[in-house]
Amino acid sequence: MDKIRIKIDHSKCTGCRHCETACSSNHYENIVNPALSRIRVFIDEKTDQFFPVIAGPFTEAECTCKYDVIIDGKEYDECNVCRASCPQRTWFREPDTGVPLKCDLCGDPPSPNCVEICNHGALSIVEI
Amino acid sequence: MEGYTGKILRVNLTDGEFAVEDLDPDLIRQYVGGRGLGTKILYDEIDPAIDPLSPENKLIFLNGPLTGTGAPAGARYMVITKAPLTNTIACSNCGGSFGPELKQAGYDGIIFEGCSEEPVYLWIDNDNVEIRPAIDLWGKTTHETDDLIKAEIEDKFVARDTQIACIGPAGENMSKLACIISNRNRAAGRTGVGAVMGSKKLKAIAVRGTKGIKIANKEAFKKAVISAMDKLNAGPVTHEALPALGTPVLVNIVNECKILPTYNWQSSSYENANKISGETMAATIVTKHKGCFACSIACAKCTKVDSPDFKGEGEGPEYENIILMGSSCGIDDLAAIAKASYLCNELGMDTISVGGTIATAMELFEKGYLTEKDAGMKLNFGNAKALVAMTEKMGRGEGFGLVMADGGAPLAEKYGHPELFMGVKKLEAPAYDPRGVQGMGLQYATSNRGACHVRGYSMANEILGVHEKIDPLVTEGKAAVVITFQNLTAIIDSAGLCLFVALCPGFLYEEVQGLLNGATGFNYTIDELVQAGDRIWNLERLFNKKAGFTKEDDMLPKRLLEEPAGPNNDVCRLNEMLPEYYKLRGWDNGFPTQEKMSELGLK
Ligand code: SF4
Ligand code: SF4
Ligand code: SF4
Repeated sequence: MDKIRIKIDHSKCTGCRHCETACSSNHYENIVNPALSRIRVFIDEKTDQFFPVIAGPFTEAECTCKYDVIIDGKEYDECNVCRASCPQRTWFREPDTGVPLKCDLCGDPPSPNCVEICNHGALSIVEI
Repeated sequence: MEGYTGKILRVNLTDGEFAVEDLDPDLIRQYVGGRGLGTKILYDEIDPAIDPLSPENKLIFLNGPLTGTGAPAGARYMVITKAPLTNTIACSNCGGSFGPELKQAGYDGIIFEGCSEEPVYLWIDNDNVEIRPAIDLWGKTTHETDDLIKAEIEDKFVARDTQIACIGPAGENMSKLACIISNRNRAAGRTGVGAVMGSKKLKAIAVRGTKGIKIANKEAFKKAVISAMDKLNAGPVTHEALPALGTPVLVNIVNECKILPTYNWQSSSYENANKISGETMAATIVTKHKGCFACSIACAKCTKVDSPDFKGEGEGPEYENIILMGSSCGIDDLAAIAKASYLCNELGMDTISVGGTIATAMELFEKGYLTEKDAGMKLNFGNAKALVAMTEKMGRGEGFGLVMADGGAPLAEKYGHPELFMGVKKLEAPAYDPRGVQGMGLQYATSNRGACHVRGYSMANEILGVHEKIDPLVTEGKAAVVITFQNLTAIIDSAGLCLFVALCPGFLYEEVQGLLNGATGFNYTIDELVQAGDRIWNLERLFNKKAGFTKEDDMLPKRLLEEPAGPNNDVCRLNEMLPEYYKLRGWDNGFPTQEKMSELGLK
């Protein structure tokens, strides 16, 4: 499991969200639902910036210290690109139950579905 | 039900009521979804002879079974209504993420009926549906509307997931060139569907959904998705040309074939084509590649113009509007064309029709039929500033823009020269001159919504040689080719796929069948799909018949039939193709015979 990592190159992402469909349908029987995906793409349509974010650990409460990040010269609230399954956000929690979702580097041996489906080179696998 | 949600939301804007209804599975199977099913619903529910801008018209937003499922380029929703610009059946389709989100909320589509007294917008958050006041949104551009609706949503993370389709000032003013915009820059563009939305005082639909879409057979569907992606990745157009340059890749190709509309179609090649080509665009204004939902092609281009006169940012321009606003207006300034396109997106107008109408106005002006006093500005060919200024006036309904905002046909008529309108059934023609690609002439003439390239793109074979290279200059055999593309397109549209998949060699019924069967479990046979495409095309025809159209309306502008141009210095020889087309379709006098109708189960 720890033999590979996923590399995200947001500059190549087209905001297509194909990864979201792939991850969700891989984890649920016969269902496609971005809301159940462990990868979500933050899309800023005003600036056409697309940031794929892969779900990390569950946190019980939102951060007390908030900050902004500057990416490609544009400023964003860090919560937009954070990977935590956090109670203040809609992402990375099952919509009905609130159960946290976390990337499990799926496939056996790991063959992440999101990477497999991404046709634009934004997601790739790095062997370590 | 799989692939579909099986539910449609019916909203009556007159009394502010709504209800969720079940879709009939038999009907779905016969009409596939989206364009086909929407046409069937409209055909059954309205009298095709009504005024498109009256409360009696209905406005249907409908997904296809593949929309939002993860099928590559399965991003599309369709808007079906009676078209204000053409008075024909309208189906305009749009990518982005709006359709998929609507489906995630649990609806295949929405039927709007009646007309609200005050401006409203529809809010959908899964089962929570509200008709909300939109007085503050009225008059706003599409971008402002998007921002304001999202700002109203308390939870900013819900706002972030919300997808919006809306109209701009053009739709509010019921300009017959008005479109519906979603994701800020994607358009359900043609035939004036935005005006219907405006006539109903419906400013926007905002939707968010988290319910999920059921897939019939996970393994089969995944296999079909991979197979479709492999095909798309092996196609030169879908894997190289479109991702690298977007649709503007066509500018140089089409110009070399001498079928590029120039100076309102007085000529068919443009000396300055290189200045407005995809290559130039990529080297100067493109900042990023963008894709609709689950699209492995990503043809959309984000662009930015820095020149002080035309400063702006947005998406596009696309091939068609580069030509209609560019060479057809004698304009070689890409920055101005981009600016006019941004304005169209923000004000909510169809870029093709706006360009076509301005080109007509420019020829009227050059020939002295339209004066500077009337137009309020010099509308000479090549006047880039006038292109931008007039686009804005049309979008806002100001001055002479108000006259032009109803399209090229009434304009040319008003100034006594209807022959200078370059379109069919009042729809401005897209950017391929049929005098050098004969099949497209037949396509323009017979298309059920007027001169249109995305109803049967025989260009794919005639010029691009995608599935098979055929001679664009001959008329023999074109009737069959056009019919094949028309029927296939009806299925691709109805399925919810982007038509660009058909620009990939071998992406024909088999691929669509694989995806449809995986998602829906319908086990469609190829024959059944071919017949469904035929059925949809014939039903659209019947709608037009009831709307008062006749065989005489299947006609091209005189210029294309009488003034030679193009590589062979030829005219479009429509009369050599049309009788065969009717015969192969099983039509008499331009419309399906009783026999044909019963074969397809149509009434
Ligand atoms: S599939 Fe790739 S390109 Fe598309 S949104 Fe996901 S990471 Fe971005
Ligand atoms: S690796 Fe697997 S679980 Fe993790 S985001 Fe990608 S598809 Fe989802
Ligand atoms: S090919 Fe272009 S228009 Fe079609 S779905 Fe993909 S990005 Fe959208």
